[in-house]
Amino acid sequence: MKVKPSPYILSVRPLLKELLAELEKSYPYASILAADSREKSYSVNRRLSSISGSGMMSARGFVVKVFDGKHWSEHSFNSITKEEIPDILDQIHETAAMSAAALPEGIAENEYTAPQEEETVFSDSTQYQNDPEELGDDVILEKMKAVRDRGLAVSGQILDCVVRINWNRTSKLFLSPKKDLEQNILWTTGMAGTIAAKGQEIKSSFRSVSALGGMELLDQLGADVEEAAKTTIELLDSLPMVAGEYDCVCSPEVTGMIVHEAFGHGVEMDMFVKKRAQAEQFIGQYVASPLVTMHDGAAAYEQTGSYFFDDEGTMAHDTVVIDKGVLKTGISDYQSARILGTEPTGNGRRESYRRKAYTRMTNTWFEGGTDSVEDMIASIDYGFLLEQPRSGMEDPKNWGIQCMVSIAREIRDGKLTGKIYSPIVLTGYVPDLLKSIRMMSPSPELSGSGFCGKGYKEWVKVSDGGPYMKARIRLG
Amino acid sequence: MINKILSALRELNISTYSITETRSWSAEAFFIRRAMDLKRRTTLKDYMVSVYVESEENGQKFVGDSVVPVYPGMDGAELKETLRLAYHAASFVRNPYYPLFDSGKKEMVPSKSAFAGKTLEKAIQVMAEALFSCDTEGDAFVNSAEFFAVKKIMRVVNSAGTDVSWETFNVNGEYVIQCLAPEDVETHHTFNFGEPDVDTFRADVEHAMKQTRDRARAKEAAPAGKYTVILSGDQVNTIMSYYADRADASMIYQHYSDYAVGKNVQGEQIEGDPLTILLKASEPYDRQGIPLCDRTLMEDGVIKTIPGSARMAYYLGIEPTGVYRWIQVPTGSVPFEEMKKQPYLHIVLFSDFQMDSMTGHFGGEIRLAYLYDGENVKLVTGGSMNGSILDAQQHMVFSTDRYQSALYDGPFAVAIKDVTVAGIGAEA
Repeated sequence: MKVKPSPYILSVRPLLKELLAELEKSYPYASILAADSREKSYSVNRRLSSISGSGMMSARGFVVKVFDGKHWSEHSFNSITKEEIPDILDQIHETAAMSAAALPEGIAENEYTAPQEEETVFSDSTQYQNDPEELGDDVILEKMKAVRDRGLAVSGQILDCVVRINWNRTSKLFLSPKKDLEQNILWTTGMAGTIAAKGQEIKSSFRSVSALGGMELLDQLGADVEEAAKTTIELLDSLPMVAGEYDCVCSPEVTGMIVHEAFGHGVEMDMFVKKRAQAEQFIGQYVASPLVTMHDGAAAYEQTGSYFFDDEGTMAHDTVVIDKGVLKTGISDYQSARILGTEPTGNGRRESYRRKAYTRMTNTWFEGGTDSVEDMIASIDYGFLLEQPRSGMEDPKNWGIQCMVSIAREIRDGKLTGKIYSPIVLTGYVPDLLKSIRMMSPSPELSGSGFCGKGYKEWVKVSDGGPYMKARIRLG
Repeated sequence: MINKILSALRELNISTYSITETRSWSAEAFFIRRAMDLKRRTTLKDYMVSVYVESEENGQKFVGDSVVPVYPGMDGAELKETLRLAYHAASFVRNPYYPLFDSGKKEMVPSKSAFAGKTLEKAIQVMAEALFSCDTEGDAFVNSAEFFAVKKIMRVVNSAGTDVSWETFNVNGEYVIQCLAPEDVETHHTFNFGEPDVDTFRADVEHAMKQTRDRARAKEAAPAGKYTVILSGDQVNTIMSYYADRADASMIYQHYSDYAVGKNVQGEQIEGDPLTILLKASEPYDRQGIPLCDRTLMEDGVIKTIPGSARMAYYLGIEPTGVYRWIQVPTGSVPFEEMKKQPYLHIVLFSDFQMDSMTGHFGGEIRLAYLYDGENVKLVTGGSMNGSILDAQQHMVFSTDRYQSALYDGPFAVAIKDVTVAGIGAEA
């Protein structure tokens, strides 16, 4: 079934058209993005449960972007009625004129040329199998409690089992002089995590699921929670990592974190505009092993980073960023592409209508290869199988890597020894790591349970992943 | 809108509720080098409504809750349906009973910030002027910056009798400093000022310029091994956040922490400085409308207060303190320059310094550090640091030099012995 449009956006569409017509009288270009994003989060653990619709992505409102012939300005607001339109227009005019009051002496304002658009009318929705609202809060909570109980039953050492489900239904309308675009998206994510204590140290492990769709993924969590609990028990006897450079096999989730944090942020082309990304100097050059082909795009994979058009009205792409080891292109928002003289790739995204659009990743992944995981492990004299990424931070300028993972399983003489090391910090120089990739398994797997920030803010939903891969990595 | 919400709640016979209203106005400016690239403003009204369903079984009381956003554009029918569905959802949630907190009906507390006397655009101009006034020398310069001047008026109304409101102003954002030679590098910095403290901001930016020039000259990582590591500035706040997190009532109620008032959490054999941490009231109320006042979290390693929400405090049978974000730590025992007389690795920039309050592990990738081997100070970059507060807490030494930022006021630096650093070569 297809996700239905937001009745609210349908109801205010005539008012937004009226506002756009008024803006066209004053400005060479204006656009309006309307968003109605509803979400619901469910959480269950040993002692408490909760249902909340107040998540980070819940938002309903509008952003108007105007071009006055030289400069860009934006105004965000969340109420519109016919009577309010004159006041909204005044606020948009005040925003467009705010430079004089805000600019320090000696600081200029960048000048642009008028945007070019093609006539586009579009409307579509993503598909789902099980509507979370039809399934009902009571059924969802009961299923989650069953998952929790399975996790707690694995061992008396399990202190707690936390199960979380989120769904998000977002409708967007983009209007400009030549564009009239509508989309309706539903994604769902879930997580089952277990917790155990060893003295003051709390160890945890989790499994996550995500889909561009509805509650059809709920049953998968039940199967995964027991594995999470077993890993948590294993972590109680984990050892501190001995710092050094090792041959490593990365699970698809760890591959995804490396793809996203180590390389993906470095090809966001708003960073090219600011001269903040080293990647700009490497277009057309080998930056990775010839085994590596990397994609990004809202149309590159069906996952939580998918949409039909971005927040600037550019249709979604499937961008091949690295082709057999050679860096082909970056990804970009509309404004960056105009400055750089390139084509926008549908990556202009806002955290919500309240925030500015930046170049952002969507679904970012490495294609698969031809090697088996067993062959990768068998090829290593001494090294580690890395699992469960925790977090990462980008460094586009200097291509430094910081990725944190929870689990390094020791490999000795081509076999897993059963010893676990935790926690682990991955570091190094991005091209060194990517060029060291020697083996990749056939099937990429993408996960979209997390959010991506730009620096420490501007959170958007993304997915990332790839196959198992063997590489040489500095661990600490 | 609050009256509209209260009316809908009455019509639905929902007698236990809490409403949070946030009215906010922002002016925003985005700079690339010394030119504004985009300007923005926002005018927003946000409402969050929590509804509660109480029940009783075998003499035990329960409560379920559900929270929903309510938007200014909702008509009466949509508002009522939204609240009805939230109440329906709450009926499936069954947690131990707790009452809502009654802060009474109080006058709005206006902001005392000097920003309150300026327009939001003027607030940006003042702080941007401070940033760009440091951008005078060619080798290190402002690559880009973002400024957000934000005014908020918060109001909390609940069915227990709370009706409080307060005003806040701040200018926050980030800036990137770039240095082209000998290596083309950048450093990323965030800021958050409740007052137009341009002198502090200028000093921060000058310091960032120096760090960036040093990073440009740093060539290689420190040798792998164990070091006396010095952390400074906001990293000290991150380390201290472990204790505030572990002492939080929600961690204790869930049995993730065994902290209790009177418990010595630092250990008996303290070789370094005994730890004292104060919780500071950065705003008159927390997000539930609970009045905040300064409190002692721990004194000489012993827990004095368990901070927590109304709900968690009721579960533990303690006073609800509200939720704090700002900590103050008394002056340490050693001047910073004295701290640096023995060999050390002073890590000043990480890609992302993290403290895991569950495991007690802290660390990150090193972007810039000063390595002193007893004779010379060398600039190093790369590799990572990985430590454990549980191993470190008995011998942490804090500086007498102080540092203040948006959410921290305390010693500038802490020295921690025997911390593992992954650098050049294998660890010995």
